[in-house]
Amino acid sequence: MKEFMTGNHAIAHAVKLCRTPLIAAYPITPQTPIYEKLSEWEASGQLKGIMMRTESEHSAMASCIAASLTGVRTFTASSSQGIALMHEMLHFASGCRVPVVMANVNRLLAAPWGFWADQLDSLSQRDTGWIQFYCENGQEALDSVIQAYRIAEQVYLPAMVSIEAFFVSHFMEVVDLPEQEQVDRFLPPMDLPHKFDMDKPGFLVPVVPSELYRKYKHMAQVSMDSVKGLALQVDQEFRNEFGRGYGIVEPLMVEDAEVVVVTAGSITGTARVAIKELRERGYRIGLLKVRLFRPFPGEAIREALRGRKRIAVIDRNFSLGGGGIFCQELRAALVHSPDRPLVFSYIAGIGGTDVRPEMIERVCLDVMERTEPMDTPIWIMEEGS
Amino acid sequence: MKMDFRHSSELVIPISYGSTEVIETGRWGFQKPETVLMTAPCQEACPAGNPIPQFLYLAAEGRYDEALRALLRENPFPGVCGRVCFHPCEARCHRARYDESVSICAMERYVFDATSDRSVDIRPHRNHHSKQVAVVGSGPAGLSCAYFLGLLGHQVTVFEARTEPGGVMRWGIPEYRLPKSVLKREVRRIVNLGIEIKTGVKVGGDLSFDQLMDFDAVFLSPGAGSSLPLKIDGEALKAVWRGKELLERINSGGRIRLGREVIVIGGGNTAMDVARSALRLGSRVTVAYRRSRDEMPAIQEEIREAEEEGVRFEFLIQPVRVSLLKNGRLAVKFQRMKLGKPDQSKRPKPIPVEGGFVKLEADALVEAVGEAVEWSWIPQRLMSRGLIDVGPSLLTAQDKVFAGGDAIDQPRTVVTAIASGKKAAISIDLYLRGLSSDDFLSRIEVGNQGSLSMEAYIAGIEQGRWPEVKDVVPYERINTLYFEPSGRIRERKLSRDKAVKGFSEVNRGFSPNQAHASASRCFTCGTCNYCSNCYFFCPEGVISLDPLLQSRAVDLEHCKGCGTCARACPRGVVEMREVS
Repeated sequence: MKEFMTGNHAIAHAVKLCRTPLIAAYPITPQTPIYEKLSEWEASGQLKGIMMRTESEHSAMASCIAASLTGVRTFTASSSQGIALMHEMLHFASGCRVPVVMANVNRLLAAPWGFWADQLDSLSQRDTGWIQFYCENGQEALDSVIQAYRIAEQVYLPAMVSIEAFFVSHFMEVVDLPEQEQVDRFLPPMDLPHKFDMDKPGFLVPVVPSELYRKYKHMAQVSMDSVKGLALQVDQEFRNEFGRGYGIVEPLMVEDAEVVVVTAGSITGTARVAIKELRERGYRIGLLKVRLFRPFPGEAIREALRGRKRIAVIDRNFSLGGGGIFCQELRAALVHSPDRPLVFSYIAGIGGTDVRPEMIERVCLDVMERTEPMDTPIWIMEEGS
Repeated sequence: MKMDFRHSSELVIPISYGSTEVIETGRWGFQKPETVLMTAPCQEACPAGNPIPQFLYLAAEGRYDEALRALLRENPFPGVCGRVCFHPCEARCHRARYDESVSICAMERYVFDATSDRSVDIRPHRNHHSKQVAVVGSGPAGLSCAYFLGLLGHQVTVFEARTEPGGVMRWGIPEYRLPKSVLKREVRRIVNLGIEIKTGVKVGGDLSFDQLMDFDAVFLSPGAGSSLPLKIDGEALKAVWRGKELLERINSGGRIRLGREVIVIGGGNTAMDVARSALRLGSRVTVAYRRSRDEMPAIQEEIREAEEEGVRFEFLIQPVRVSLLKNGRLAVKFQRMKLGKPDQSKRPKPIPVEGGFVKLEADALVEAVGEAVEWSWIPQRLMSRGLIDVGPSLLTAQDKVFAGGDAIDQPRTVVTAIASGKKAAISIDLYLRGLSSDDFLSRIEVGNQGSLSMEAYIAGIEQGRWPEVKDVVPYERINTLYFEPSGRIRERKLSRDKAVKGFSEVNRGFSPNQAHASASRCFTCGTCNYCSNCYFFCPEGVISLDPLLQSRAVDLEHCKGCGTCARACPRGVVEMREVS
């Protein structure tokens, strides 16, 4: 059934369809509509779960972890300062190997204060051990939440699904809502091997000796690595059930491309238009969308970019002193590629500024004139600014 | 720590099925909490050393039998003191610095009243050295001494010249302040301990002073029962009364006609009792006092109640002559006075205003300017300036003879008399054991103002467990953040119109709800009331409390010494001490 809705509401629908019995969250713009929608459904009885209105995001995540350890599916949504406050608990979630699913609406981090789109909030959490998806639109966000549960519950690792503030969270688009029976078929009830047992009380997060700590971290890495293959497989099964799929990366017209533009999130949609335009004008430009960021799909990216010479990564995020984060990761993934492509770093859309198709065209033309990449990224701004 | 990793290869995270108890986290700390029970300032101020925070805690819990027992450990007269005490405790109450003092006196009364329908057993301790002790006089001092000696297992005989026991409580204080039924219950409890009270036996008449020496020890508490004369002209007139004698007549149920107008001379409690009694006998009453209101020695509440009931006051006048008028009334000539420099009593000395006189007329005059000891039967060498001379242990100049109450040099209040009876009982017990009181009295002090603890004495002398002397809690130790401000709760009273119509008790005490609210206002300074603050705040969960067993324990093997409990204790009972 197709409906016109915002990205936030698409995510709320996904949570309802997944029959999530426990939601613990704290409101924060621009995520609040997710929280509100779920609250509304709880009040009307349409949502069979419990909405825990916690006193902070830190507590929200702690609640999800504890609830998950009783063996139930959990969900939270947050953004920006909220996810920053959660930071400590994010490590606990992956360390406790709980398949919590979180929607994050990418919003810039203060200061200065603002509510606008910027991916730094979730990218700042890249080392917390969470699976991370970056979605282009509301439909993908809905589908990714459902997939995230399937994946997380098989590898016992938490997963985060990110959309950008306002561009996706508040813009309304047509979304194809899956049928409940389809989702039930696709997503079996959750089961954990390590949950609280009333008959055999145990204590989690005990102090462990060094070797054991190393052992559990290594086990986690093995699980995380398996996500690259698993995510592809789950996406394929999803495609079979629902007729849509995304892959973990999506290459578009790269086979003959002189330049490949790499994007993540909502800029991808704009890039699709820009590239089509450039192709019509005779430029051989391709596009690579990175959907899965953690684990980072290095092999899939190398495969997609095989034989390419020039790569332009556009980041709506910026690690001060480092540069665009997707670009850093991509460069690291390509360092052993036999083609040794040149990877150029562009920063665009910081602080929620609009990235228009002309700006992407400028990136493509700019990169063709350059002989070698610089460490420092190139900031793309509106003409005249 | 025992950790079960048998299935760790299948598990994705470690789970311990053992307990962290094996880790002695208590070793990490460099300080430990100690329960430091302290003396509350009210308790120090109480001459009888009443366990005030303890009894209020029990009362707040509705455990009135236990509250009464706590009081009876230190004071045989909670029903009397709860009505007539001048309650110095309340002036020292820490709560007074926060909002208003707790109604301690009224609560003492309530505890007595709430348990009056049942008998609370008090059993004497077994004493293998039980001796025979004589007590002369059955006022608050004599009965207190007899009661505590009885508790300590001695055989006590009380000699009382009058027909009923009680002294000032029976014959002095009027019924509207202290109903006879209350006194009767208190005396019955004392008699039930095995104390023999021989009424109608006058020492010096029916029994000689020397015959008292047949006993192993003697306590003299004859009181100060005879009113001092004013020594002015006309004093012998029929319509001129002595305060004590008048009160005794009233308390004997005698029919008295004082006339339409009565003048009462004096500013003490006897004067107030006389004035208010005269009102109830239908007279208009004027109290004439030679100083001003501020210097009146009577209990403030008594003065206020007398005023409310309609007693008039004339200050700074002193009678110089009484004469009989032709119409049978009295003419009283007064000298006007003014206040001078402080005298021995530290009050301003009244000085005559030259040529200043006032004349008042009345149908009767009552002198209530002080009382003296009737000591014709006591050997003169025991006396000094009209009082029985005693040392610090209350021993007189004669071996094995002790004295207390109004007959010795001390404030003349019921509670100080009770306190002297208690102290004498301890001194006599030590004397009968052949021990010196010097070595022991300081070990059972409640605070630093001379009050003694019988509970401490019994624990020490019977079981050798002499408790540590406790410091008095300073206000700063109370964590007032934990207390909601609240007003003092006042007792219900008869309306003025009803009150002056007869001798019914004016003060009607607390309702059960008032009593609960009033007891709950107590900070219980220095005494654990099991409020559970430490229990809830302890991050280690190592504190256990049992309010019924009144025990508070800390698992020191696991206490890290963080000090949260000491901070969270509202009443300053927990103190952090460095581990040596």
